[in-house]
Amino acid sequence: MVLQDVKPTRSELINLKKRIKLSESGHKLLKMKRDGLILEFFKILNEARNVRTELDAAFELATDKINLASAVNGVVAVKSTAFSTKENPEIELSGHNIMGVFVPKINSTGVRKPLYERGYGIIGTNAYIDETADAFEDLVEKIITAAELETTMKRLLNEIEKTKRRVNALEFKVIPELIDTMKFIRFALEEVERESTFRLKRVKARMK
Amino acid sequence: MELAVIGKSEFVTGFRLSGIKKIYEVADAAETESAVKEVLDDNNVGIIVMHNDDIGNLPEILMKNLNESVQPTVVALGGSGEGSTSLRDKIKQAVGVDLWK
Repeated sequence: MVLQDVKPTRSELINLKKRIKLSESGHKLLKMKRDGLILEFFKILNEARNVRTELDAAFELATDKINLASAVNGVVAVKSTAFSTKENPEIELSGHNIMGVFVPKINSTGVRKPLYERGYGIIGTNAYIDETADAFEDLVEKIITAAELETTMKRLLNEIEKTKRRVNALEFKVIPELIDTMKFIRFALEEVERESTFRLKRVKARMK
Repeated sequence: MELAVIGKSEFVTGFRLSGIKKIYEVADAAETESAVKEVLDDNNVGIIVMHNDDIGNLPEILMKNLNESVQPTVVALGGSGEGSTSLRDKIKQAVGVDLWK
């Protein structure tokens, strides 16, 4: 495919050569970026997988504990205890940069609390509730780690896809088009040259 | 920022116990939908915790929004252990190979 509206002139050819050079260096850089991103992605992939497994296990454990606590104390008692907690976990987002992708770093405070800071009375409740609270604090901690990793993965994947698309567009569409156009201009210029030589010959022949 | 939990009453009680204050107790799919919309608009929420089955019951578009959303991030728990399907699909799409398993 030749680009539309090109005039086969020498200056156009020079411009085109410059553009090809630029596109090629851009293509090379983007390719490197893509490879770098995939490398980063692989680093995180395993970690995220492990965290996922841990998270599922923690959730199962926490569900077991709360079921047990509800069975022993009654659902209403567990619920009312749950309403009396005071301290709530806070998370803080900060971020760093991986190859131009802003990746969150989540810091949490106040997830794990000692028994006496939880806010419910110790006398009215029993060990099952404490264990449940423990299990859920653990779970929340895991959720925060998982959220951080999974967000990172999502962002990296988006960026990988975008970069990949760009690399492919340059490689299979933009650069071939430019090269075809360059060929077209070269051919046209050669044609003009041949024509003028031939014309000169004809003139010369006539003059004799 | 805070965590938000959306789910049925037996799902959220445990999270209440761990001290989280932004809890949306919902009974059916319609309530879940409105709660999710509300949380997505809340700038103070960094992480949404939901049960897998509840996410699965949401309308398609909202589910997609939820899975693509980076802030807040959604962490899906429980169910048939498919909390990572959306991520898995994304990996397949971006890298071209199923690397999750």
